[in-house]
Formats: sequence, structure tokens, C-alpha cells
Amino acid sequence: MTNQYYEFFCPVKVIAGKAALEHIPYELTGLAAKRPMIVTDKGVRAAGLLEPVVAACEESGLEIVTIYDDVPPDSSTSVVRDIAGIYRSEKCDSIIAVGGGSAIDTAKAVNILVSEGGDDIAKYSGAGVIKHPLKPFLVVPTTAGTGSEVTSVAVITDTKKSVKLPFTSSFLLPNAAVIDPRMTLTLPPHITAATAMDAMTHATEAFTCMAKNPLSDAYATSAIKKISHSLLKVMDNPKDADGRLELAQASTMAGIAFSNSMVGLVHALGHATGAICHLPHGLCMSLYLPYVLEYNLEHIRGPLGELLLYLDGPEVYAATPANRRAEASISALRKLRDELHKRCKLPRTLKETGSVTEDQLDTIAEMALDDGSIMFNPKEVLLEDAKAVLKRAWA
Amino acid sequence: MLAKRIQPMVFQARRLYVELMFQVMGRALQAVSEVDSAVQSEAVALPKGFLFEMMVMPAGSKLIVEHIGNGRFHYHGDKAPRPIDLSIQFKHIAHAFLVLSFQEKTSVAFANDRMLVDGDISYAVRMTRVLNRLEAFILPKLVAKRAVKEYPASLHLPEKLISAARIYLKVATNFVETARAS
Repeated sequence: MTNQYYEFFCPVKVIAGKAALEHIPYELTGLAAKRPMIVTDKGVRAAGLLEPVVAACEESGLEIVTIYDDVPPDSSTSVVRDIAGIYRSEKCDSIIAVGGGSAIDTAKAVNILVSEGGDDIAKYSGAGVIKHPLKPFLVVPTTAGTGSEVTSVAVITDTKKSVKLPFTSSFLLPNAAVIDPRMTLTLPPHITAATAMDAMTHATEAFTCMAKNPLSDAYATSAIKKISHSLLKVMDNPKDADGRLELAQASTMAGIAFSNSMVGLVHALGHATGAICHLPHGLCMSLYLPYVLEYNLEHIRGPLGELLLYLDGPEVYAATPANRRAEASISALRKLRDELHKRCKLPRTLKETGSVTEDQLDTIAEMALDDGSIMFNPKEVLLEDAKAVLKRAWA
Repeated sequence: MLAKRIQPMVFQARRLYVELMFQVMGRALQAVSEVDSAVQSEAVALPKGFLFEMMVMPAGSKLIVEHIGNGRFHYHGDKAPRPIDLSIQFKHIAHAFLVLSFQEKTSVAFANDRMLVDGDISYAVRMTRVLNRLEAFILPKLVAKRAVKEYPASLHLPEKLISAARIYLKVATNFVETARAS
């Protein structure tokens, strides 16, 4: 009898494509919500991305009761408390998050407070603390990378204690993720590249790490194919709405994949680097991906070789001997990074970032070893191994 | 028919096995923290008084150890003196049996969602390394390879034998002391 076992869960309704935003009023009405609050950040407002959302609602007679547009990049417990206060005073009954990872995580945390009660979000920290469905919640991603719209996790910083509080519950998942190409059309090139590489890493790690399963594999391979096919096209033509939609869908699919199969050493190193050197998450993913795949190579040769089909297409896959496909997949990813570097100077090594010093590598390695993602890496990672990967990624 | 009659006995045997393994592991955790410097250097990062629990949901067998400082653990049996700081919970006794009978690696059990972590995930990662190190010491290499993600290449036979003997001696002594005290 096979020992294989897996779990897969994604109850989020995905609403994707042209005029997707115009479905928001219908979706909220279906959830008996009439007084939505928008949670977003200043960048989203400045980029003019709120207008189509608000217009889509108003045109259907759905009034946006209030807009909170001051979510910081690293959201905190006090921000969550403040937004929950506004939600209550304005008698809102639902939340629409418009933004990237921080706005979405903040909205998830606000939803906990306004649904469960109280002002102290910290007491809901941890896994399985929330036992009831929360208020109606829609997410409109404005970056194509984090996949937060389909993950059951939120991370909020407790500024008083200087710790990051994780919240995990399937009730955090939004009722719907609204993916409209208009929301990512104006993303600057370096953010487009870094967030797409974030999604690429989610999908690649989902497909090669320990909790891979047939359903997450399907999402992961499809996401990789979409990113490989569309990323450079979008970099060359940022107004390519079809390409933008492909990247946004890939990000959601990669999010579904990794939230059901977890990630590995790339994320462990990336989380540590982000915490110590304050580099954007997507950039960290892009930096470490090929080096970690090389480290894991002998443990993931089979699945990594399969990815060549999605990274480089059927001709290259067929022309590459089976025993060379894993290496060819790594080369394809390196080539993609080189192309991105050519187009927007997306760094390929830690040295190229200009934000990391060589003497920080040991601290990054130590912190990475305690990251939860490392549990799911297919190859055991000792401190010396993490240091060796970092050294290779240095220059 | 026969299978139906035997089933309660099988369940009882499985429950007893898991209970016994928790008792052995709890004592062995205390012992390995007195013997092995690598375990001590992992444990020393835990707060003093940190209580770690492994249990079977909903209220099955459990083991509780406390970090008493300097990288040393103290086994508390199945009674915690204070609220637990970190709990690793098997969803079902069948899942605990799979892991404790070395049919499924601890890391695979995590990946397969057989267990839940309640507490700081970074401490859970650390405790998993300690458990792996313990298993590498006390189990024959062939069995240990089934229990841990990767058998440590740096652990050679003489060190393994000497450490395992010391751990088993301490575990046996602890069992005798517990029996005398009760």
C-alpha cells in the first residue's frame, strides 16, 4: 500500500479577467454585505488603482462606506487596532483589501478583530485559535506575486514586543479573490520582475519540496508555464493586459500550490535576509532560487527535470536528455534572471543588491535554520550548508 | 470475523506502544541533553522554564519536558507544572504510531499534516532537530535512517555506541527511580 498522503484546501472563489472588478457588488450582495470598508495603502491610491474599484461599486449602487489608505509596508498591531476602530465606528459589515501582501495581511487581521471582538489582535495569534467564520472579505491584489489572496496566513508585527505575530486559520481566507488586469498594468518593471519571481519560487518550491501533492503540482506547473511564457513579454511591453492577467493568475495559482504544499530553503533564507537586510521578499526569492535548487539537486532531480517542460517548452524538453533536464531547468531560471537583470537591473547575487554585507551571511544562515519553511526542504540543512548556499549566492 | 475480534486488542496494543514510546522518548530527551553537546547548544536557545509537549489529540498520551537551563531538559511525565509553551500534537493515535514505529519520518509527518504545532514555530524547528539527533543516537542506523530526514554523516559508530549506552543507562535508571517513587 502506498504511504502517500496529502491534504488540499482552497475554498476561495477566484474571479479573474476583464471587468472582474465589476463583479464585486454582486459578490458582496450575495454575502449579505452592504457597507464595505476598503483597506489599502498610499501607493495604491497614488497609482489611481482605487478609482476603478470604487467606480465599479458605485455604479451598482454599492456605497464604499470608508477607505483606510495608510497601511504601512510592515503592518503592526496598532494599525490593525486603528482600522478595526474605524470599521466599528462606521458600522461597516465587510472588508475589501486592495493592495499587495501588507494590505491583504492587515485586512485579514482586521477581519479577525471585527469578527471575534476586542482590540488586542495578539491574543488571536497562532494556529487554529479562530473557530468561527469571519465577516465577508474580498481581496483585490495589485501585485502579481505574494499569492496572499489564497493563503490562510497573516503576519503582523507587534511593535511593543518587536516580534512578528503569525495568524493561521482557514477562516482568514477571503470569500473571493478578484483578479483584474487593470490592477497590475502600472506596476513598475522592477516590482513586476521581483513579484513574478516570487510567484515562480512559490510554484517551484511547491513542486519540489516535501509536501508536494498531485493537486498542488497541477497549480504549480501551470503557474510556471504562465510566468515563463509571459514575464519577459510584459517586461518588454508593460501595457500588455493579457500578459499582466497571465502573471496575476500565475501568482494566484502559485499561491494555491504553495499554501497546500509549503515551501523550503529559498523561503527560509529569504525570510531571514528580509528580516536582517530589509530586502523585498520577491527579490530575495529571485536571488536564492537557483542556488537552493543546486543544493537540493540530487533530492529533486526527478521533479525539477519535469519542470523544464514548463520553463522552456516542449521542444527544449524533448531535445534534452532525461538525465540533464534538472540542470537545464536551473539554467532556464538563470537565463530568466539574466534577462530580468538586463531589463530592470534585478540583482542576481547578494553583492549586486548593495544592501547586504558579507559579514551578515552567518547571521542570515543562523536565522534561516529556525525558519518553519526549512522543515519542508527535501534535503536536510545544517548551519554549514546554509552558509555554503549563501556564499554561492554572494557573488 | 476474526479480524473484528482482534481489532480492540490491536488498538490497545497500539495505544500502549505509543504511551511507552513517549515515556522512553521523554526520558531519553532528558538523558541526551546531559550527554550531547550538540543537543545542549540547540536547547540553550530555548527560554529557561520552557515547556515542550508532544501529545496525541484530543487527550491521549503525552510527554512533557522542560528546559531547566544550560541546554538541559527535565522530563515531567505527562503532567505539566505550568501552561505549555510549545505543543506538537498528533491528530490521531494512528499517526503517532506511524512516526513512533518509524514507518513515517518526523519531517514527512509534518509535511503530511499528521501533526499540528501550537506555539513558536522556530522553537518547533529546533525541537525537531533535537528529536532527530536523539533518534540518530538511540536507534540502529538502519532504523534511524527511516526516522530522520538525513542520518548525520558526522556521527560515527564509536561516538554513537558510547552515547547510546549512556542515554539508555540514564533512561533505565530514570524508569527504576520512577517505579521506586510510586
